[in-house]
Amino acid sequence: MSTFKEHKTIADRAAADRSRHRKKIEEAIKESIKDVVAEESIIGQSGKKKIRIPVKGIKEHRFVYGSNENNKQVGSAQGKEIKEGQRIGHRRRTKPEEGQGDKAGNNPGEEMYEIEMSLEELAGYLFNDLELPELEKKNFKFTTQEKMKHKGKRPYGIRPRLSKKETIKQKIKRKKAAIKAGSYDPEGDERFPFHESDLRYKHIAPVFKENTAAVVFFVMDVSGSMDKSKKFLARSFFFLLYQFLNHKYSSIDVVFVSHTTEAYEVNEEQFFTQVPNGGTLVSSGLKKVEEIIEKRYHPNNWNIYTFYCGDGDNWGIDNSEALSAFRRLSEINQAMCYTEIGKMRGSSDYNLFSGVQVDKSLWDWTKLAEGKTLKRVRLQKSKDIWPAFKKLFGGKT
Amino acid sequence: MADWSMDELHEWDKKICTLGAGLGLDWYPIEYEICDYKEMIGHMAYTGLPTHYRHWSFGKSFDRIQTEYNLGMSGLPYEMIINSNPSISYLMTENPMATHILTMAHCVGHSDFFKNNRMFSETGPDTVIDRFKNAGKRVKKYMEDPNIGVEAVEKILDACHTIRFQVPRTSGVKRRSHKEMKEYYGKLILNDKTGWYNKFNINKIPLEPDTNVLAFIADNNRFLEEWQKDLIRIVEQESHYFVPQACTKIMNEGWACMIHEKIVNAVGIPDDYFLSFIRLHNQVVRPHLGRVNPYHLGFKIFKYIEKNHGFDECLRIRETHNDETFIKSYLNEELCKELNLFSYSFSQKEGYNKITDVSGEDSWRTVRDDLIKNIGLNSIPVVMVSELQRDGTLVLKHEHDGRDLELSEANKVFEHINELWHGNVRFTTVIEDDLWEF
Repeated sequence: MSTFKEHKTIADRAAADRSRHRKKIEEAIKESIKDVVAEESIIGQSGKKKIRIPVKGIKEHRFVYGSNENNKQVGSAQGKEIKEGQRIGHRRRTKPEEGQGDKAGNNPGEEMYEIEMSLEELAGYLFNDLELPELEKKNFKFTTQEKMKHKGKRPYGIRPRLSKKETIKQKIKRKKAAIKAGSYDPEGDERFPFHESDLRYKHIAPVFKENTAAVVFFVMDVSGSMDKSKKFLARSFFFLLYQFLNHKYSSIDVVFVSHTTEAYEVNEEQFFTQVPNGGTLVSSGLKKVEEIIEKRYHPNNWNIYTFYCGDGDNWGIDNSEALSAFRRLSEINQAMCYTEIGKMRGSSDYNLFSGVQVDKSLWDWTKLAEGKTLKRVRLQKSKDIWPAFKKLFGGKT
Repeated sequence: MADWSMDELHEWDKKICTLGAGLGLDWYPIEYEICDYKEMIGHMAYTGLPTHYRHWSFGKSFDRIQTEYNLGMSGLPYEMIINSNPSISYLMTENPMATHILTMAHCVGHSDFFKNNRMFSETGPDTVIDRFKNAGKRVKKYMEDPNIGVEAVEKILDACHTIRFQVPRTSGVKRRSHKEMKEYYGKLILNDKTGWYNKFNINKIPLEPDTNVLAFIADNNRFLEEWQKDLIRIVEQESHYFVPQACTKIMNEGWACMIHEKIVNAVGIPDDYFLSFIRLHNQVVRPHLGRVNPYHLGFKIFKYIEKNHGFDECLRIRETHNDETFIKSYLNEELCKELNLFSYSFSQKEGYNKITDVSGEDSWRTVRDDLIKNIGLNSIPVVMVSELQRDGTLVLKHEHDGRDLELSEANKVFEHINELWHGNVRFTTVIEDDLWEF
């Protein structure tokens, strides 16, 4: 004979494992975002727009046989007419579609989640995790600003600020109490009118808000050597930087400076679409920044960030000039970055010892100015963007 | 609400057991646990074992089962029984009496199979619950150890799970240590008169390719700490326990279906249960279009044997066979044609699955052999340790049988093995007739 046990419900045994799994998915989301940040569809979107992010499911992998002609499966089709060579089931994609590269989700059996978030949420996800260097706390400059804000409700005020919702709540409260006390019969014909004491008004009071303001200079070399793909990389990087600073400051000014041998302040569109031409004098762009700072953004009131982006191709005679400009700027900036796009350029230190007179590249020159404020990063492909970003603002890579 | 009481369960159980014994069955006592659907999901997620160790993958399957159940995408199984002595089985409170009767009769069949089939002889049903409980405790201990922690434990378990089925597929063969192997081969070489062993390298490790990748790593990886080896062995032991079930799925389910049909037909169920029984039974043993339902296939073959050779023959077969030999011996042309079995494969050129063979006069054998390639662990590639080199390199080899590995998956698994071994792993397979090294 068998035995029967009525099992009392014990604590949910899977709870801990489920939360572990969810935590892993969270991590996967963060991972996926990093891949997404450099994608074209995101760059240049406004904060409210929803972005779909594919997240790879957490899976235990195993050795399995691939789907192909040699891996035969068996099925049954009782009562059906079948013949050799017949197609069954749905069409499956065999190769990733063009332009999608090796993006996840094309492999059969790959589990995908798709989450939707706005750029703002995305920024939160990305940047809250970053351990900002002390930089922020010490050096962010605050200006205070008076602002009017709602501050609760009160029983007196001016007519336009009457809060209907709060007033009716008060009336309902009073009515319930009256019914409980037996002083009002809800079944009767008698109305239950508003009373003067029910009225509530919105209260508005001034608050002092700490206002943090920053200005960001994006400086880019638009000379002939900066082709479209290099520019796209620069744009992606600038976009991420902008989102980050925007996330940290309540207001932010962006100044675009493009330069060849001369520098101009331009608007965003011109900045990214300008037809490249001419040679390169990096110092011209930096001098332009200095000029603008002097005119409009006094370092005592503004947090200043300058990000330079170029391909390291500079006229040799300009390198020392550029270096001193970098040095001057790094003294008044919160953070600066020299971003070089593309491969390391030919000349480097060892040439100096070979006795041949070779100019050091700008990459090497800027090394001399590198320090707490000035950082150098190199971007070769969009995958480099996130690590580069982390290098600038700390946090774990 | 439930239409039954505990007394009724006892009453029906008594009748079922009497009939089971009358059929000549011999099973472990069964312990039914009455649980609600949520607990049932919990049991399913943890492979039925009430004392299984913790791992996020079970949390994941819990969530998936629950979501699918809540969305009405899938139902929950009526029956779940563990190969243990006593056999633990779960009955869901929400199910009506008719379902319970069928489930209980079905469980008698399974328990009888566990107790008699020779594949299960080494699974240790008397101690399995305690073994898993003990393993669960150790995993918990490691997770709570401040020097180890959940993440480190998961790292090992994640890696082990990727190769959890890379264990021997035969049952009852004792694993010989390297020393024992060396003695064995030493004797062979010494007494060798044929010259077969002239070129045999007695200093190679392992002397024979080792299909037990997990055990080999635990035995030979000098970087591993004791707790890490222990985790590997826990996973390996679990696989040994489950391998027989994977290798007898078709027989086991077919047998249980045949038994429940016999018992329910004889037990004298009231008319109003009869219809729900028929409905349930047909749902379980119905053929699945385009796939092979193991319940259906096993049931059909057993019925065929009973018709032609009698029930005693069935009893003998349930003792001595496994799915592979069962199908090889008893799935004949007539059955193949009746079930209309066919082989198909994915044509990469066309992007469709295409039927390659249907069960015809000669081709039914091809179909049968293709089926055998896909049952039990045959659908899992065999990977073995071919050599441990002097510099510590672990050489793994996939035993290619005409089917290529899915590289994207294999790469991921390779990474895990590499991590478990602390680097220096070489792994070769054949892809499109060329040697492939990871």
